[in-house]
Amino acid sequence: MNLDAIRECLDGSLPGVMATCAPDGTPNVAYLSQIEYLDGDHLALSFQFFNKTRQNILANPQARLLLIHPQTAAMYRLSLHYLRTETEGPLFERMRAKLAGIASHIGMGGVFRLKGSDVYRVQAIEQVPGRPLPPAPPRRNLLAAARHGAQRLAAAADLESLLEAMLASLREDFEVRHAMVLLLDGGGRKLFTLASCGYEQSGIGSEIPLGEGVIGVAAREGTPIRIAHMTSEYAYGRAIREAVAQGGEADRLETEIPPPGLAESRSQLAVPIGAGRRLLGVLYVESPQDLRFGYDDEDALVTLAAQLGLAINLFRDAAESAAEPAPAPERRRRVAGPPVTVRHYAENDSVFFGDDYLIKGVAGAILWMLLREHEAGRSSFANRELRLDPRIRLPDISDNLEARLILLRRRLLERGACVRIEKTGRGRFRLCVERPLQLVDVPAG
Amino acid sequence: MPTPPAMPVLDADSARFIGGGVSIIVSSRNAANVPELVRAQGCRVSRDRSRVQLFVQAAQAQALFDDLRRNGRIAVVFTSPSTHRSLQFKGDDASIAQARPADAARVAAYREAMVVELGGIGISEAMARALLAGDDDTLSVVAFTPAAAFVQTPGPDAGRPLEPVP
Repeated sequence: MNLDAIRECLDGSLPGVMATCAPDGTPNVAYLSQIEYLDGDHLALSFQFFNKTRQNILANPQARLLLIHPQTAAMYRLSLHYLRTETEGPLFERMRAKLAGIASHIGMGGVFRLKGSDVYRVQAIEQVPGRPLPPAPPRRNLLAAARHGAQRLAAAADLESLLEAMLASLREDFEVRHAMVLLLDGGGRKLFTLASCGYEQSGIGSEIPLGEGVIGVAAREGTPIRIAHMTSEYAYGRAIREAVAQGGEADRLETEIPPPGLAESRSQLAVPIGAGRRLLGVLYVESPQDLRFGYDDEDALVTLAAQLGLAINLFRDAAESAAEPAPAPERRRRVAGPPVTVRHYAENDSVFFGDDYLIKGVAGAILWMLLREHEAGRSSFANRELRLDPRIRLPDISDNLEARLILLRRRLLERGACVRIEKTGRGRFRLCVERPLQLVDVPAG
Repeated sequence: MPTPPAMPVLDADSARFIGGGVSIIVSSRNAANVPELVRAQGCRVSRDRSRVQLFVQAAQAQALFDDLRRNGRIAVVFTSPSTHRSLQFKGDDASIAQARPADAARVAAYREAMVVELGGIGISEAMARALLAGDDDTLSVVAFTPAAAFVQTPGPDAGRPLEPVP
């Protein structure tokens, strides 16, 4: 029997128990707070205290583990051999994030602190004789869901429909109600929300620094993080949402978009989206239910995220090499009504419509450049020219311009701004302005 | 064999605790110091609190019984699923005997107590009963004298020797 076959046992609500033996022959029993599946032959246990178990396995690497299947109550005994302890890197970070979830679930938030991830080889697995329950049929076949999701992604024609396909698959194939897709900012220090579903506020354009919270840690370490219970330590988004809600000092210009997120999130799964060895972003799902996402959900989403990453890269290149001819210049409609003042703060490229904050950073710089061009009489643009425009200062040659435009288009739509971006063809779009604008540039102080 | 301590390691409060609806895990080791473990199905504490009897399904515990017959070294952890309170007892005189007919009632009572206790942490009755299923006619008794006791509740204090309250 392989560890794959019983990995549900590793994060059931009935904890595993480990027996070790001191060199003098005294056995010892300890409950485990965390068991992490590595592969069919290896697992890792959390090392939090210099306790008897720790002393024993350093002196005598042989251990036995007793696990309970969370649905059938079948018991399994595993023979383990201690190999090494990892104190940094993806495994350690994954376990640290999970441990925070487990610890806060059982009221041990301040007590549990991961010192290391103890890696063991599984030498044998034996089912303990007993009378387990028959296994219940799975909620759904996740392999079929992944296949259907892969077909949706494959059918997408551009980045925007790709994101829609991903969210539709989560909703309909996986019955996941709350999800978001974040992309890495070209500078590689933060992620921005590009698409979401299931939240009152979409949070599109909100930013999460690398290394912050479940999403930021998953991105920094390039490893999926799955948390089965609510955690406060990693609830970065919630802290920001609260700060934003309580802030709003009158003289301060608010330029934070609150990240979307469930106030009472009880299960979370953050999966890095990559292409080759490069990190592109994070796919994140959450649920108000405990233990909502299992190993199989993680496998399915990691598989889809791999396809998503390749497709994101493909569309990025395609949008800018588009050779479609520019549409014939059209006559611009006359717009009426009182003018709207649009301010641009050069300091952080933030743009305000009247008093309403819209966007900042690269997307803000793009919008400002488009508005200036529009003022000069242009309304049709190509993605490619944006990359070359010195006013935009893209942080990286590989920056996903198409993603910035989607973000900008959605943000304008959401805020009901009097400016819209309309796609006119592959790699081309038009700026539609519905009110007279008065542009005010505020230079950096 | 060491002289039994004058005062039993097990105080009255601990005796009450381990006799209730708590998970019981029994561990041994073989001649090569490879440990073994099994879940027990209830326990009984002697009137003077010097001896503890554990009820174990023989079919689940062949290796454990072999170890205990050879060297008598035993460690047992009692844990409340709802509070995580946990005590570990160790001894070196473990022996194995057939259960008496009266023990079956004890095990049945233990199963009922565990159904309630596990129900409190969201484990279904069917799960709890499956976990503790077994046959009364293959029930065995592991008996030992606790020679050392440790607080095992998760946290930095885990492993601290229990100071018995007389």
